[in-house]
Amino acid sequence: MAHIPDGVLSAPVLIGAAAATAVGVAIALKRLDSERIPQTAVLTAVFFVASLVHIPIGPTSVHPLLSGLMGLVLGWAAVPAVLVGLVLQAAFFGFGGITVLGVNTFNIALPALLIAAVIGPLLRTAVNPRRIALLGALAGAVGVVLTAVLVCLSLAFSAQEYRPALTIVLASYAPLAAVEAVLTAAAVSLLRRVKPELLSVGGARHA
Amino acid sequence: MRKWLVPAVMIGALMAAAASPAHAHKLKVFATAVGERIEGTVYFVGGGPAPGARILVESTDGKPIEELTADDAGAFAITAKVRTDHVIVTDSADGHSARTTIPASLLPTSLPLPASVPATTATESPGSTAPAPTLEGREGRTGDPNATEASIAQAVAQQVAPLRQQLSAYEDQVRLRDVLGGLGYILGLAGLFAWMRARRPTGGGR
Repeated sequence: MAHIPDGVLSAPVLIGAAAATAVGVAIALKRLDSERIPQTAVLTAVFFVASLVHIPIGPTSVHPLLSGLMGLVLGWAAVPAVLVGLVLQAAFFGFGGITVLGVNTFNIALPALLIAAVIGPLLRTAVNPRRIALLGALAGAVGVVLTAVLVCLSLAFSAQEYRPALTIVLASYAPLAAVEAVLTAAAVSLLRRVKPELLSVGGARHA
Repeated sequence: MRKWLVPAVMIGALMAAAASPAHAHKLKVFATAVGERIEGTVYFVGGGPAPGARILVESTDGKPIEELTADDAGAFAITAKVRTDHVIVTDSADGHSARTTIPASLLPTSLPLPASVPATTATESPGSTAPAPTLEGREGRTGDPNATEASIAQAVAQQVAPLRQQLSAYEDQVRLRDVLGGLGYILGLAGLFAWMRARRPTGGGR
């Protein structure tokens, strides 16, 4: 449930997150090289489509977020990638909405940036395949958990009445974290073997 | 050979998921009026009903009319007492919310207009005595053109209700053309950005 719809959050949360996202996008676009545009576009496309993979869990349902993978491969470019993906999801699928774009982008892109900064450098120096897979799994799981926490914080700061349900929402992300850990581990292991420059470039210039 | 297996499976899974008609996780509320009754369901698009969802019925100017909770199948029903637009807002308590409007034109003309009814009567529980006079009127004077019209309107509404529901479900579907359209936009944006960068001599291009 990373797509918080319109009309749920309070104005201070919306405005604060929108401002943070605007700053993030500005920094990211300044740092984005021409050579990295294709891979940014490809991951944007994957992120856009991944929201259709719908996993029903308990009272809510979740879908892959890919923030871990985007952070590792794109670094700062993950911010515009998430924003574009969310705009198109809102326009074509009706997920989320326009006033909440800032919040939703923030909730998904911030974990990606943190992962790029913390796990990215570790991954670049790792040589053992098992360690690489483990770091990928960690990135996938941490991305989901951080996003879940940010979503819950957005809701908790907006209205008191959401607070009781938030533990359920948090718990519902646990299976997704497991799924995404496996997915990201597989993707990272593969990239490291087939196209290592994708990961090292992302870390070196954008951490 | 084997190293292509993982991405092939991943892409295959993504495409299979995108091709199936029902998915996504948006809360939706569907409601329709049959006579004075407004019936509806709350559900997750492609994900089944939303049992226990909070439902708030209000007028267009935000005045609350009624508050209730959906049953185990996500269904709810209220009885309209005023011929006015009913806005139905729902909320599954975890941040999903949805709304829909039943326009006054769907409600029977036998109901009083909003101005003639004090706001306090609107908070009464459904199934109260309010609709009774109209029923009596219908039975008493079978030749009354108003009563005939009302019963025809109700019969038509009953027939049309499933159709409305089907239409609403059809609207929810994410279709392949939506996915392809989105991918096209991403491609176009990337192209535009690359072009802008390429024109600028100090950009990343060399």
